[in-house]
Amino acid sequence: MSDYDFIPSFITPDFSKPEWRAQKSYSQNLADSVIKAMLPPLTPEEEARPFAKYYYEEIKQPDPAHLALMDEPMDPSRAYGPEEINRLLDLEYLEKEEVEIGWCNLPNGAGYIANKNFYPGVTADMIDWWFAWHPLEDLRYRIWYPPQHAGIMLSPIDRARILDPSIPNREKNWGVVHNVTENCDCGFENIDIAFRSPADMGFDMEKFERVAATFVGGMGWSVAVNKCDDSITAPAIMCHIFYDVPDGLLHRTRFWMGYRFTVEGKPELCLPPKVSVPAANVQGLARHNVKEFTRFGDFLPRIYKELGDSMYC
Amino acid sequence: MPMKLMAVSRRRPGLTRADYFRYIEHYHGTVARLERFKIDRYIQNHVIDGAFGVLSDTEHHNRVADRDGVVELHFSEFRDMIATLEPEGVTQSRANKDGKFFADEPNNIIVMAEEIELPVPNPLPKFNPGLGEPGMGAVKVMQFIMRRPEVFPQDFPRLWRRAHDEALAASPYAQEMFRRIVVSLRSRVNDNDAAARAHFRMVDPPVYDMEVSFWLDSMENVGAFRQYLEAIQANPLPFADWSRSFFLYTRPVRIIDDAPPKD
Repeated sequence: MSDYDFIPSFITPDFSKPEWRAQKSYSQNLADSVIKAMLPPLTPEEEARPFAKYYYEEIKQPDPAHLALMDEPMDPSRAYGPEEINRLLDLEYLEKEEVEIGWCNLPNGAGYIANKNFYPGVTADMIDWWFAWHPLEDLRYRIWYPPQHAGIMLSPIDRARILDPSIPNREKNWGVVHNVTENCDCGFENIDIAFRSPADMGFDMEKFERVAATFVGGMGWSVAVNKCDDSITAPAIMCHIFYDVPDGLLHRTRFWMGYRFTVEGKPELCLPPKVSVPAANVQGLARHNVKEFTRFGDFLPRIYKELGDSMYC
Repeated sequence: MPMKLMAVSRRRPGLTRADYFRYIEHYHGTVARLERFKIDRYIQNHVIDGAFGVLSDTEHHNRVADRDGVVELHFSEFRDMIATLEPEGVTQSRANKDGKFFADEPNNIIVMAEEIELPVPNPLPKFNPGLGEPGMGAVKVMQFIMRRPEVFPQDFPRLWRRAHDEALAASPYAQEMFRRIVVSLRSRVNDNDAAARAHFRMVDPPVYDMEVSFWLDSMENVGAFRQYLEAIQANPLPFADWSRSFFLYTRPVRIIDDAPPKD
């Protein structure tokens, strides 16, 4: 059995490219995630990559006032479930009435997170490029937020889709799963994030096209890297929506922890009755989100100028 | 969203197959009707025959190569399933206590799944009491397919679907005789199966990412499934561990079903 016999014959990988040499099997990646979670030093091959320097640069720290808004839970009566995702398209209401930065448990036990960032000099094309480009190699994900981003993998079919030049960057991730190893302030986890189109998230697309610049989101299942028989595999719905504003992009994040999408595409709470997502996990993800996206807004314009808009480098 | 819990069991020591079928249909089935909790539908599939692994295997790779029944419990949503497995205010439900009288419980397998129905070229068009209801048939083949560990879970159903379409296209008898096909995809909620493991008392159960049910008119037609099986197992796409996969010919028995019969 060869190292790559799990790759289906209708895919033709080009192993002369690092974007294909990164491909591992599912079982190998799962085993590797334990090592990745130890944040090992870069390999000589990684050191030679043109973006390795971003791994070593000083990470921009979040505004303390922004991070402090995640210290205590917000009023749950001002939060809502993923069935009301279209509230993110009502800009007037968002700006006047909504809690834009905060977290809490909903009355049904789900975890809710809201966050907002402004990125000067960032465009929707940069967002589309980054989210398609970064899952191709561990180091691309690690440079995003080195303290807590440990690694990433795609399946061969998803990798072929990302590298397909006929698919626009904005659509490459639709239906694709990122298998990431990440610490959301509660220890390293393996998180399988299944990305969706905005239509499949439940957005009213007529309104979405008028209001939003671009979107990234889907559903994740997370479980501890060092999982044991009693480990909980936790679902969450993730939504990052971006809006054109003068001089940059506005980014709103929402997480609904404890929710999944059903096969039919409907959001469904799948916590057992009387069980809540632990507050420490909700707050942990909220704080992680502030940190990783502070860094994101700082380095995205620079790396895009250097390496965008191609998937290869 | 409907969620289905399937439990595959072998009869306990000392029972004949006839004993087992009589007990689960008439006694255990009655217990489930009396203590329905949040069950929407309950179908028992009594095993007529089956095979484990492939002909080229020289020994079995399944820990248990013998199964007698598959129960299917349908729920409106995940929370209803939990509320039934761990009913509030009940230390141990009668159904839970009853399992030891018919099943080899440590060797049970469970799959929590969501169903996707696929089109068939030749569905049973109208009611025929000799063959079955429209969209149904008297025999249901249940194929449990184990994913190769190297294959990503997200690629597994994609590869299966490609292999399935090619196998069906190469199997004219199967095209003619498959009356209905339903794919049950394992849900990740199955990862948190402590309640189900406790209910069914399983020890280290094997994981099946997919079950596919094929309805045929009668046992005389199961050769259609064998034709399809040979074609899908010969497919070079590397998605399944066929040595750990198995299929069962079963007779479905309705225990709880509020839906009116189709005619």
